[in-house]
Amino acid sequence: MRRDPVLDVRHLHKSFVLHAVSDRRVAAFSDISFQLTVGEHVALAGMSGAGKSSLLKSIYRTYRADSGEVWLQIHASEYVNMCSLSDAEVSAIRGHEIGYVSQFLRPEPRRGALEIVARSARQRGMSVEDAREAAAAALSRVGIEERLWDVYASVLSGGEKQRVNLAAGTVHPPRLLLLDEPLSALDPDNRERALALIASLTKRGVAVLSIFHDMEAIQRLASRVLVLEKGRLVAEQSPKDLDERLTSAAR
Amino acid sequence: MTNMVEYGRYPVARLAVPEWMLRVEKLGKVYGAHDDEVIASTGPESGTSKSSLNGSIVAAWDVSFEVAAGEALGLVGESGSGKTTVLRCLAGDLSPSVGNARLRTSRGEVAMFDLDSAERRLLRIDTLAVVYQDPAEGLKMNVSAGGNIAEPLTAAGWRSFGKIRARASDLLTRTEVPINRMDDLVRGFSGGMKQRVQIAKALANSPSVVLFDEPTTGLDASVAAGVLDLIRSLLEEHRIAAIVVSHDFSVIEMLTSRCLVMQHGRVVESALTDQLLEDPHHPYTQRLVAAARA
Amino acid sequence: MTTINELIDISPSDELLDEFAKREIRRAILSAVAIPGYQVPFGSREMPVARGWGSGGLQVTLAVVHATDCVKVIDQGDDDGVNAVNLRRLITSSTGASETSVAAEATIVQSRHRIPEDGLDDKSILVLQVPVPEPLRGVERDMRELARMHAEADYSRMWVSLYEDKVRNGLITQTTGYPCHVNGRYVVATTPIPRWDIPRLHDSSFLTLFGAGREKRIYAIPPRTEVKPLTFDDVPFEVERADGARCSLCNSDDAFLVSLPNSPVWMCSDTDWCRRRRELTR
Repeated sequence: MRRDPVLDVRHLHKSFVLHAVSDRRVAAFSDISFQLTVGEHVALAGMSGAGKSSLLKSIYRTYRADSGEVWLQIHASEYVNMCSLSDAEVSAIRGHEIGYVSQFLRPEPRRGALEIVARSARQRGMSVEDAREAAAAALSRVGIEERLWDVYASVLSGGEKQRVNLAAGTVHPPRLLLLDEPLSALDPDNRERALALIASLTKRGVAVLSIFHDMEAIQRLASRVLVLEKGRLVAEQSPKDLDERLTSAAR
Repeated sequence: MTNMVEYGRYPVARLAVPEWMLRVEKLGKVYGAHDDEVIASTGPESGTSKSSLNGSIVAAWDVSFEVAAGEALGLVGESGSGKTTVLRCLAGDLSPSVGNARLRTSRGEVAMFDLDSAERRLLRIDTLAVVYQDPAEGLKMNVSAGGNIAEPLTAAGWRSFGKIRARASDLLTRTEVPINRMDDLVRGFSGGMKQRVQIAKALANSPSVVLFDEPTTGLDASVAAGVLDLIRSLLEEHRIAAIVVSHDFSVIEMLTSRCLVMQHGRVVESALTDQLLEDPHHPYTQRLVAAARA
Repeated sequence: MTTINELIDISPSDELLDEFAKREIRRAILSAVAIPGYQVPFGSREMPVARGWGSGGLQVTLAVVHATDCVKVIDQGDDDGVNAVNLRRLITSSTGASETSVAAEATIVQSRHRIPEDGLDDKSILVLQVPVPEPLRGVERDMRELARMHAEADYSRMWVSLYEDKVRNGLITQTTGYPCHVNGRYVVATTPIPRWDIPRLHDSSFLTLFGAGREKRIYAIPPRTEVKPLTFDDVPFEVERADGARCSLCNSDDAFLVSLPNSPVWMCSDTDWCRRRRELTR
């Protein structure tokens, strides 16, 4: 029995109009369609500039797509089209049904890591005490030691910030999680921890759509790879067939 | 391609969106005589708020939005955009020319612009508070920090000196003003500290709506960061519906989830804050964001 | 064209206030009594006493006095002060009313500083001379804003100044002119009486009229009116007290006492009361 998709992207188009440059139109991607089901981890691959990040952001509504639909499952067999939701509605489901973990953490200057992750948990409905506990567990999982929990996040290293970001995004995981290069600044040990964490998510049924420039990460985590080239979805492959060039880190 | 299951139509879920706390409909403020033609002669297309027909200034026109509890809405634009005019109309410092503003209070829905000045003042005591760019506008400089907070408390009927003092020191602690300065005149405080006292005073009677007008403009960067941080956590803690007016995108980014861009008195774009910063559509917004990112 | 000499030559009539003036002042008094604590503006006339010396109290007295009245005038509680003597003479000579120093005999008592210790009843009118009728003067200067504050019963700035006073001095230090809430509505300045006399205004048997000549305001506290000194619930209103002080003349310690500067000697402020006390104990 085929399960209902968690995410169904249909004929999604996105371009930018640069008014300062005589209204020039620049396409980010066009006519993208694909689906994701429960517990499936799909990775996007392609040269830089192919449109991977733009696609993720368009799903999350950080970019407004020009046309197409992004159906997201909210309850069992009930859906919303992200493209047609109002801003307030998108605000309401971000962090709850759909989550986004970018590679950057722009922390508030004087919040500690524990507080950042706990707040994420509270936003998803946890009580203050439960949120704190879950945050502590999440931080331990990504290898952030307790002595760093109350340190202002702005003084953490790049890798530490990235791990805090990952912890905040996964502490109470939403139905669909979008990951945009979440391992780029991590050393081997911490990368290992993060990979284990992400793998556990799919086991819990979280649908994940990710971008890694790390071939090994894709092969360990993803069950399918969607290849983008110049904004178009050109191939769908099994991770082990993936051409290394497509995970080039060149930016 | 894996066989994609073709779904004809998905059953659409109804999303539970938090109800609005403040709802503004077609707010307008014009200085001088106006009719449809005068209005049409101003705005982004004309490149001015001042009508070429009769010199009237359309400071704000056709501004509509909603803010829910726990949500912060940004109003961004350059000076002259009308954002401060909108805030002052909601604060009661200016009377609008047209439009409605409805507020949900414990006493039911209130049509703000239909109230007389005494009723507006009562609203300012316990429902709607304002934090001004210039602390001298929101505070009495020759009164102590505690005394400034005592004002809204006594206006709300607090009559116990001990309780007033306890509440004032609690608020000052939350806004990180040293308690040993509670009895010092506010005049002697630094800019950042004055803003903190203003915020403490604004929160005195637990308002459900707070308006912030350029809350950190004029403060040093590190001081501003601390104040913004404080505002953000207080808004979240108390589930306040907030409107943040600023020309500074970093303030908008820090505090708000949605925002409106204003130019020459009109709203030119309305979007989620992260979308506005990463995918601005209107030419003016693109210029503003590009300048901010430079 | 009128010349300076002609102006000097204008001889005053026997009456200090003409009938039109009296009528206007009486209307103002009636308004004041009808709205306890509300400051009624009135057209303050030229009086033979300079502004700041009781011209307002004098006009109020002249508007209500009749030849059948008996008038007592005190200054600091003393009938024999120069000012009191002057005013009493002006009133009685222009109206034919009789005079007394015994409060119980008087139907009208005009005072600059005290309420007599006893003797006032429901037939008495107390007229107080008020230098500054506006209780909010210390916290606001703008006339329109003052009018708004009274109109909207917005006294929060008054409360702030009481808070600041308590914080700075440990207690609320205002001695004369202590602000009071009248009839649950208006806040008044109780100048010129000391704190000691304030409880006597509450639920009194007599009518109190306040006249401010220079500021051109009249206000009133009718009999049986609630008068509450403004203070915090947990800061009790205290009257002046000097421990162990007794009047050196009549030995009482339950009247308002005053002393000469740098002197340990206390005496009753109300001289008439003191005299009668001494007569009783002789």
